[in-house]
Amino acid sequence: MSEPILRCTNLSVGWNRKAILPAISFELRPGEFWAVIGRNGCGKSTWFKTILGMIPPVEGEVHCAPDVRMGYVPQRSAFDEIYPMTGRQVVALGADRGWSFLMPHTAEKRAAIQHAIDQVGAAPFADRPFRSLSEGQKQRVLLARLVTARAQVAFLDEPTAAMDAVAEEEALTQVDRIRKELGTAVVIVSHNLDVARHHADHVVYLDRNQVAAGTAEEIFALPSFRKRYAASLDDERGGWKEEPTNA
Amino acid sequence: MPEITPSWAEFVAAWPLFREAVLCAVTAGGVLGMLGVHVVLRRTVFVSAVLSQVAGLGVASAIFAGMLFDMHTEPMIGAVSFCLIATGSLALRPERVRLSREAMLAAIWVAAGGAALILGDKIAAEAHDIQSILFGSAVLVRPVDWMLVSGVGTVCVIAQILLGRGWLFSGFDHDVARVHGLPVKLLDISLWLCVAGMVSVATRALGALPVFAFTVLPAMAALMLVPGMVGVVPVAGLLGLLAGGLGYLLAWFESWPVGASQTLVAAAFALMAVPIRLLRAA
Repeated sequence: MSEPILRCTNLSVGWNRKAILPAISFELRPGEFWAVIGRNGCGKSTWFKTILGMIPPVEGEVHCAPDVRMGYVPQRSAFDEIYPMTGRQVVALGADRGWSFLMPHTAEKRAAIQHAIDQVGAAPFADRPFRSLSEGQKQRVLLARLVTARAQVAFLDEPTAAMDAVAEEEALTQVDRIRKELGTAVVIVSHNLDVARHHADHVVYLDRNQVAAGTAEEIFALPSFRKRYAASLDDERGGWKEEPTNA
Repeated sequence: MPEITPSWAEFVAAWPLFREAVLCAVTAGGVLGMLGVHVVLRRTVFVSAVLSQVAGLGVASAIFAGMLFDMHTEPMIGAVSFCLIATGSLALRPERVRLSREAMLAAIWVAAGGAALILGDKIAAEAHDIQSILFGSAVLVRPVDWMLVSGVGTVCVIAQILLGRGWLFSGFDHDVARVHGLPVKLLDISLWLCVAGMVSVATRALGALPVFAFTVLPAMAALMLVPGMVGVVPVAGLLGLLAGGLGYLLAWFESWPVGASQTLVAAAFALMAVPIRLLRAA
């Protein structure tokens, strides 16, 4: 088993030193796919931002391997679409890290940007204004930015929230491909239980009274989870419904 | 305006007299036009309005203090000090007292404008200066003001060249910029220091009204005219520069107040950009 690139020890998240979720410990390894599920307002984004270092933890610690490159796709509402950026310019932001913005992009970086655009199939609309793109196209652009960033750990906060089922499956397939081709560890927040079922090796379940990590089967067997997601689960088949209901 | 026949020949003949004023307007217009792109994109146009108004109050306060204590006080120091205090107040969190940032900005803007007018009334001998400071009716600019505007402007242009991509990244996607390890706080501080510095020196030289106009209107026009992000900053700079120069010429030929003419030219650019943008969109 490879060395963990991110380790959370007894991590408790919250605001003003007040925990909003019970503590959790886990280790993330290269190429793993983690799904984070929980009801609206349970603290998923706070949990994410704490791991990413944007909010200090209430207790515990987050330890990253040296020089690990983090990538982040925030919720759709985080972007200010007043910026007249093209898709390509958004992808190009991925190439900037630390103080590298002081230097112009080299031919090598520009080639990497084009390669990332091609890799996720964003070439046909890369030079159109980002704000004019469909949700599925925007997601491809943001995935190309992750590829450009050569992220070793990618955190995606509800990346498919505004997509229809087809676009969502396409986006998740892209994420899976990036994970396999580049060995990127993926942590994705989703309301769709199918993401946990079909794509994730590990699931983190966040609830006000319980935080748990395990395989999808282990998490789906938790009594508190079954109580919360009763409408989405199909007990007769011992699992979940084929047509998932967004929580 | 001077009581002379407004003609090209006389404008050229009087050029040594107006040189600093025109160069100052052109430089301030160009630099503020460039910085204004970030101000407009970050939805903080009222910050520049507040800074220019506060700079005006700073100048008036310096003049008043000089009269009160019978000593020479440099108005520029008043403008810069007041602007820095106002910039620092932006770091406060007004939501803690159930106020929005817009409400706080509006309160500072109104209070600064009112206070400047009251001080103007107290220093009747300098009333013309106060009028110039607030509305930009100054015709002549001192060489020291032109030197300050060009010096601070040069620093701002260098900052735009070096930090522009970082300003853009942290404005468009602040969280991802942080995750990528960009020094977002430093970038934000550097942007606001550039805006505050340029606004303070330009307000002393040109007046609060044209300074606000240069910070907002050329950037608005450029954002409508230029597709994509590449080229917006230079085009905004060019339009600001033209507004400064053409505004001065308009004031000369039409015997209008200089600051108002510069503001009108900048507004005309923004208005002309609207149909062009609509045509392109269609």
